[in-house]
Amino acid sequence: MSAWTSPAAIEVENRLFRALAVLRVVVLVNAVGLTVYRAGNFDPPSAALVCALVMVSWTAFAVWAYAAPSRRTAVLVGADLAIALGLLLVTPLVKGPGFQASVPGFWVSGALLACAIHYRWIGGLLAGVALAAVDLGLRQEIDQSIYGNAFLLVIGGPVVGYMCESVQRMALERDEAERAAARAEERARLARAVHDGVLQVLALVQRRGGDLGGDGAELGRLAGEQERELRALVRGEQPGRGPAAGMVDLAAALAELETATVTVSGPATAVEMPAHPAEEIVAATRAALDNVRRHVGEDARAWVLLQAFPDHVEISVRDEGPGIPDGRVATAEKDGRLGIAGSIKGRILDLGGTAELITGRTGTEWEMVVPRMGLDRLDHR
Amino acid sequence: MVVDDHPMWRDAVERDLAAAGFDVVATASTGREAITRFAATRPEVVVLDLHIPEPDGVQVTTEIIALHPTTKVLILSASGEQNDVLAAVKAGATGYLIKSASRDELLEAVHRVAAGDPVFTPGLAGLVLGEFQHSAATEVRGDKPTLTDRETEILKLVAKGLSYRQIADRLVLSHRTVQNHVQNILRKLQMHNRVELTRYAIEQGLDGD
Repeated sequence: MSAWTSPAAIEVENRLFRALAVLRVVVLVNAVGLTVYRAGNFDPPSAALVCALVMVSWTAFAVWAYAAPSRRTAVLVGADLAIALGLLLVTPLVKGPGFQASVPGFWVSGALLACAIHYRWIGGLLAGVALAAVDLGLRQEIDQSIYGNAFLLVIGGPVVGYMCESVQRMALERDEAERAAARAEERARLARAVHDGVLQVLALVQRRGGDLGGDGAELGRLAGEQERELRALVRGEQPGRGPAAGMVDLAAALAELETATVTVSGPATAVEMPAHPAEEIVAATRAALDNVRRHVGEDARAWVLLQAFPDHVEISVRDEGPGIPDGRVATAEKDGRLGIAGSIKGRILDLGGTAELITGRTGTEWEMVVPRMGLDRLDHR
Repeated sequence: MVVDDHPMWRDAVERDLAAAGFDVVATASTGREAITRFAATRPEVVVLDLHIPEPDGVQVTTEIIALHPTTKVLILSASGEQNDVLAAVKAGATGYLIKSASRDELLEAVHRVAAGDPVFTPGLAGLVLGEFQHSAATEVRGDKPTLTDRETEILKLVAKGLSYRQIADRLVLSHRTVQNHVQNILRKLQMHNRVELTRYAIEQGLDGD
């Protein structure tokens, strides 16, 4: 039962018992009022006063006793139920065997709900059955409304108990989720500190390695590769950058293409796009970069720039190679050798965008423009 | 002045700068040290790591520029946290270099910021471009300065990896004109920061009433 003694579960109980305290006062006023009003039915009439006093003092005691979790013992709950049953049992003695209304009436609901809250559905059921059985057992005649009241006791107890249990479970789950989120945040914070340290060392190795030459230079180059990969990873993991479900941060996805020779630039904020077009854009960019390596050289430098506008994104891939002779792309397309045209133009056109190849004295540049609106529709084709 | 919490880095940068003929007047390993030593030594150029013990590089930049607005701050950062880099430049830094940049790149960058020339890497240009595009799309008040078409064009070319020389050639401008445009872009970006700070102050002030 340790789950029921957790702070979250106890907090739920506290709230429910506070609400029950209000209910107890309401049913007490009702029961005492009726008892005094019908004092003539009591024999002797002073018995009415005694019964009313018992209810008033027990209600006052119960409101106080249930307020503190430590006082909510089995003895208290048992006594609560016993008093309610006792008042039912004395009814035929003070009002005669053919009585109409029991002495406590709805006042018994205080004890019923206390059992339900503290012992959940099973407590509610047992208390409901006990109260209903005693009430029905004392009657000479059982009419529709007496049966209905008894039935409500049996049904209401477990229903309230079950709901109390559900709310407690939800509170526990919420607590667990909050703790998990706090742990994840702390881990992320530590990871950032560790990442920063590793990045510093990798950058230093790269720098010193370059100075040493030979094997050192090779070591430096490797450190540089790792540094760029880690930096791209960190960039994609920044807090507050997590895209919504089914969405991808295009800026982070493109950043992963950065290498020693490829520089990726873009905005500091996430560029959210549905997964499918984002993947296609990354694939087209990768194809353009592959092309740079193939046609300009393994060590050729290239720059990727992502610009995000409210209605579209622009991606540019530039290199400083000699350029592609005019018409070569068109010829390749005509010859059926799709190559770049197929993998870049095709992908971008499918997204409703445009891809243009510009060559000039300062190198070759792919300009891709993809609309951001209506992409969700394309995504579900 | 060189500010970095990693002693190996601090020493390496200090050595390289000293070897190249720069006079390193102070080093610091925390933000607090940086601010006190800056006030005592008044260096012309501060080479600053963003990730240092409190206060961080962005706050240090703000303080330094407030104390002495003509100081040149060159951010040297290992981190991939783009927002911090952008924040530091908005706070008044004149350049940003990634830590893995070679010694020659570092020295050239220090020379350039010392001469008052912003060091705009393609990465930083992309961030700044993003900032202006974002504010153009979201701003309703219109009190933040915007870029002219020419400035946007130049910024895009920087982000695409063209050197100032190549940009001057392509746009048929002088090298000096391109530099002036880049300086204006930086100035406008730093005004964004001031507009944001003013708004913040007004909001806080109104809340306090």
